[in-house]
Amino acid sequence: MIAFFTTYAEFWSDWMPRLQSAAKVTALLSLVGFLLALFLGAVLTAGMRSHNLHARKLCRGFVEFMKAVPLLALLLALYFGLPPLGLTLSGFWAGALGLGLHGSAYVAEILRGGLQAIHKGQREAGLAAGLSPVQVFAHIVMPQAMRIMLPPLLNTYVALLKDSSLCALIATDELMLTARAISSESFLPMHIFLLVGLVYFLIAFPLSLLARWLQTRLNAGRRTMGAT
Amino acid sequence: MGFFDILQGLMGGAVTAIYITLGAGTFAMALGLLLALAQTFGHSRWMRWAINAYVEWMRNVPALAHLFLLYFGLAAVGIRFSPLVAAMLGLGLVGAAMLCEVFTAAFRSIHPGQREAALAAGLTPLQALRYVLVPQMLRLSLPSTANYTSQLIKDTSIASAIAAPEIMFFARNLVTSTFETSLIYGTALLLYAAMVWPVAWMFFRLERRLEMSR
Repeated sequence: MIAFFTTYAEFWSDWMPRLQSAAKVTALLSLVGFLLALFLGAVLTAGMRSHNLHARKLCRGFVEFMKAVPLLALLLALYFGLPPLGLTLSGFWAGALGLGLHGSAYVAEILRGGLQAIHKGQREAGLAAGLSPVQVFAHIVMPQAMRIMLPPLLNTYVALLKDSSLCALIATDELMLTARAISSESFLPMHIFLLVGLVYFLIAFPLSLLARWLQTRLNAGRRTMGAT
Repeated sequence: MGFFDILQGLMGGAVTAIYITLGAGTFAMALGLLLALAQTFGHSRWMRWAINAYVEWMRNVPALAHLFLLYFGLAAVGIRFSPLVAAMLGLGLVGAAMLCEVFTAAFRSIHPGQREAALAAGLTPLQALRYVLVPQMLRLSLPSTANYTSQLIKDTSIASAIAAPEIMFFARNLVTSTFETSLIYGTALLLYAAMVWPVAWMFFRLERRLEMSR
C-alpha cells in the first residue's frame, strides 16, 4: 500500500507538468464547447419558440437528434467524416464543435423550460406598463428565468467537462490522452488513471456542489416571493 | 459500398451495444436500488457517508476514466476482464451511482405516512417495501430512469475505447477497409438514433399510462 504511494512521489516531477498543461487544454476545450453550446442552444430555443412552424419543427428535430446520438460518434464523424467532404478540423476544434453541438440540445431544453416557467401574465403586465418587448425580456422575464436556468446550466458544464475526455480519441492533447500516453510509457495505468480521475474530480465536484447550493438558494427565493 | 452494406457491417456492433446496455443497465438498477435503500432506510452514518462518497466520485469523474481504470488499471495488478465485461461493469458502476441518487430522491418524496400506514396495517417492513414503497418510487423516478437509459445506450459507444466490438469499433474497422469515412460515421450516428428513439418512446408511453391510472 505504501509502495503504491511512493510511486507517485517518484514520478511526480515528470507527470505533474504534463498533466498541468493537459488540464489547461481540457479547461479551454470544455469552456469553448460550453460557450458554443450556450450560443447554439439560445438560437435553437428562439427557433423552438418562433411563430414559424417550419423553424419550430426544424429546431425540435435537431434537438431530438442531438439528444439521441452519442458524443463519441459525433466527434469521430466531425474529425474523420468531414475531411472527405472538404472541411478539415483540428482535434481541438472538432472536439469543441462536437461538445458545442452535443451540449446545445441540453442547453436548449433548459432555456426553453426556464422561459416557459415564467407566467405569461408577467410579460403581458410588462407590455401593458409600457415597456418594450426587449425591455420586458431583459428586465422581467430573464432575471426570473435565470434563477431556474442557472443550476442546470452549471450541471451541463460539468457534464461537458467530463465529456471532453472523449476528445482523447480524436487526438486532442487533453487530460485523458496525456494520461494514456504516460500510462503506455510508464506501465502504471492504475496510478495514472486514478490520478487523472482525481484531477477531473477536483474540478467537477466543487462545481457540482455550487450547482446544488444555487438550486436550493434560488428556489428558496422563489418560494418566498410567492411566484410559481 | 452503399448505405445498406454499411448498415449491415455495423449491425454486429449494434448487437454488442444492446448486450452492454442490458448487462450494465441490470447491474446499475440492482446496485442502485440497493444503495438507495441503504441510503434512505439505513441507520449507519458511516455507510451513508461511504455511499455519498461513491456517488460523488462516480458522478464527477468521466466514464472513460472508469473504463480505463477497470480495463488497463486492474490488468496491471493482475485482474483481467474482457473488454465486454469491463464495459458492463464500468458503465454499471457509474449507472448505479446515478440511479442511487434518482431512487433516493424518489424515496424521500414519498410521504413517511405511507410506510407507517403499511406497517400499522400489519405488513412486515419488507412487505411494505415490496408492495407500497418500491412501486411508488419506481413510478416517481420513471422520467429520470428514461433519461438514464437513453444515456446508457449512447454511452456504450465509449466501450469502443477499450476495444469492445461495439458500433464505433466496427465503424473504425470499416473505415480502414473501405475509406467511405463520411458515409460510415453518418450511418453510425443514425444507427444510434434508431436505437435510442424507440426506447425513449416506450418510456414516454409508459409514463403516460401510469399518469392516467393515478
